[in-house]
Amino acid sequence: MKSKRFWPMLLLIAAVVLTMSACQSDNAGSDSGKDDPQASDVNKTGMPIVEESLDLEFFANKPAQNEDNDWNDILVWNHYRDMTNVNVNWDLISPDALDEKRNLALGGGELPDAFFLSSLPNTDLLRYGQQDIFLPLNDLIDEYAPNLSKLMEEDPSIKKAITFPDGNIYSMPSLIEKDFLSLRLSARPWVNEDWLNELGMDIPETTGEFYEYLKAVKELDPIGDGKTIPYGGTQIQELIQWLAGSFGVMNRGPSNTGNIDVDPNDESKVRFYATTDEYRAMLEYIHKLYDEKLIDQSIFSIEWGQFLANASNNLYGSMIFYDPIELFGEDIGGQYNSVAALEGPDGHQSYNKISSPIWDTANLVITNENPNPAATVRWMDHFYSDEGAKLYYMGVEGETFEEVDGEIQYMDHIVNPEGDMTFEQALAKQLTWLGSINGIIKADYFQGGESAPQSMAAAEKIEPMAADEIWPRFTFTEEENKVLQAAGQDIAKYTEEMRDKFITGDEDLSDWDQYVETIEGMNFEEVVKVYQQAYDRYRGE
Amino acid sequence: MAVEQPVKHKGDSKILKSLQRNWQLYIFLLPAVVYFFIFHYIPMYGIQIAFKDYFANLGMFGSPWVGFEHFERFFESYYFWRLLKNTIILNAYNLLLFPLPIIFALSLNELRNGAFKKWSQTLTYAPHFISVVVVVGMLVAFLDPNTGLVNHVVRLFGMEPIPFLTSPEWFRHIFVWSGQWQSLGWGTIIYLAALAGVNPELHEAAKVDGATRFQRIIHINIPTILPTIIILFILNIGNFMQIGFEKVLLMQNNLNSETSDIIQTFVYETGLLEGQYSFAAAIGLFESLINIVLLITVNQIARKVSNNSLW
Repeated sequence: MKSKRFWPMLLLIAAVVLTMSACQSDNAGSDSGKDDPQASDVNKTGMPIVEESLDLEFFANKPAQNEDNDWNDILVWNHYRDMTNVNVNWDLISPDALDEKRNLALGGGELPDAFFLSSLPNTDLLRYGQQDIFLPLNDLIDEYAPNLSKLMEEDPSIKKAITFPDGNIYSMPSLIEKDFLSLRLSARPWVNEDWLNELGMDIPETTGEFYEYLKAVKELDPIGDGKTIPYGGTQIQELIQWLAGSFGVMNRGPSNTGNIDVDPNDESKVRFYATTDEYRAMLEYIHKLYDEKLIDQSIFSIEWGQFLANASNNLYGSMIFYDPIELFGEDIGGQYNSVAALEGPDGHQSYNKISSPIWDTANLVITNENPNPAATVRWMDHFYSDEGAKLYYMGVEGETFEEVDGEIQYMDHIVNPEGDMTFEQALAKQLTWLGSINGIIKADYFQGGESAPQSMAAAEKIEPMAADEIWPRFTFTEEENKVLQAAGQDIAKYTEEMRDKFITGDEDLSDWDQYVETIEGMNFEEVVKVYQQAYDRYRGE
Repeated sequence: MAVEQPVKHKGDSKILKSLQRNWQLYIFLLPAVVYFFIFHYIPMYGIQIAFKDYFANLGMFGSPWVGFEHFERFFESYYFWRLLKNTIILNAYNLLLFPLPIIFALSLNELRNGAFKKWSQTLTYAPHFISVVVVVGMLVAFLDPNTGLVNHVVRLFGMEPIPFLTSPEWFRHIFVWSGQWQSLGWGTIIYLAALAGVNPELHEAAKVDGATRFQRIIHINIPTILPTIIILFILNIGNFMQIGFEKVLLMQNNLNSETSDIIQTFVYETGLLEGQYSFAAAIGLFESLINIVLLITVNQIARKVSNNSLW
């Protein structure tokens, strides 16, 4: 009987040996590179940052506009490597797979030395920060990040936005210069001025006038065959965020998910606005537009490419998008003029679709695998200086930009590229900023669609109506995160689904009371309390 | 079995003898056993994170136990019943169409024209090789309310275009029938093979007795392939709840999630996209438990009723 166990035992042993050897080689891989004796050296000021070349692995999001370039061999990063002696090996991830890959790396896979522009949510920063996977950066920033420290002194809200309730800072943020409103607007509303003239109308200033315009466009049908689309966009959310200011909701900007803004009657209280009458009135208005086919009927499933194709065929009477001339050329883009905030039925007229100057909490996050955190912080800090912003967004003098009459501008081979290359394609051959914000964006050192004349004019028009204050993303404690991930997420999902259904009419607005009741039954008070606590901390109380 | 050289050993057990005699066969078996052991048994230790709060730095074994907290959270979640309902209905709908490939195989089997038979077989199983992403892309293109082919036809008949992809009532039909379109031909292969094993003498005898074609199908073909049908049915039940979730995910949007939100897409969203591994593991485990219960039940019933079963 002894031999009966022989074969199974052999199998078992073989399997165990196989898996163990696999595990071992894993360990060997992640341990190496950690104990580099030279690694702790760093120059406190000046360049290079390190005397002996330092290799770092960065995990980074690679925006779609950069599809064809390789960050491991491109002008801007090569130049910065030669300057700093820090050699970054980029592990580039396409945006579709970003969340998944990032979570796999964090959930026990191979950690990079740093996460760069990887859209890490605040919940993850805290979670992995408390697990000692992300390093707290408070002291390193004090010591090695003079530029960021200076910005934080000038604008204390930056520090508030990146400091967690446990007092730690786990990331260096992406910033937008506060006065560079045009950039903070992202996609903005446009109407077709040629058609307005044809209709003998002025640029709409109230929600009523906007409705009249859309209706008139539908009847006029300038494209013919009923193909004209009075309003179109890439997602319904943009229209909602724009109109929010006309109905008096989302009064502190769109950065915080969770439908939270400030109570108009009490500055010290947060308000859940998705159950207010104002919000209801807004949905009623949008539903009316959708029902009368004034909004593109495929807006809930449209893809970016289809939208661009429609816009290039001049189908839209109005849209919320980036600079039309830059994107669709003078012929079509030139027909559009910008709209500011519309005055709503109750007299609200404010423009709330503005991002916080703290665009992203987590521009750079350093992991416990990093051989030289001090050098990494210095590497990042450069991009908060004028010099760094110039390097990242304009490139290198004589290679990508030149000074003409005291003003810097891209060189001819980028502005007027050969063949049928576009400006963006030519730019992406040498620079990598398209689709991302690294360090700080300053109006003086930026020449993209947002600083084109049409877009700047739009920003000027919008400025007087801009919301008084825009919140950055709040930070939460571990306990609060638990509430937000459970009840908070259910509520967010439910309100979003119902919002879309109310708009399409799949759900009748007469069922509003039931909708409010459902939300209030979802541990709602607990969620609002969490936001209130976060807001109290933000206000510094 | 071709016996090469009977090796003589004294005192060895029967089992070892049979091992020695058939060692080539066991070698063939070995890779499968090793595969299942390494990839399906060893990873089972990961189930424990369903009962823990998983922290990456503490690892699977070091993370603290939390008992049934994640299960409770899932059962109390507002979406629990909707997820369960959608998952079951979608899978049951799919299972309802189980007889389709059988009917199709039986009809193909009756075809006498060899060329036509081959053609229709090839045509029906060609879609099997199209990837899910492409199929969903085709659905989006064909069913678009403004530019889709199907809605052009709908408009020709003077009707309002139908928003197929954004209405919850259409989701299940589109999902299940496009799935059938893809898998019908492929599903017939095993049945056709089983039908090839029908003894022609039975048919001849039946013909002599004056049985019609239909009677022969009912009384000869179907009983012969019945064991195959039952085994495949049980295997299908084993995959119940595990419908191709990638396709659901690709077809999902806010407007149809009323019917398209299923347990697996929820696990993907919370587990991979939000990194709540323990919670996602708990939901996955719950789903597997339902699966096992179903599988055992159906197997027992099949054994009682027809004497055919997996074990």
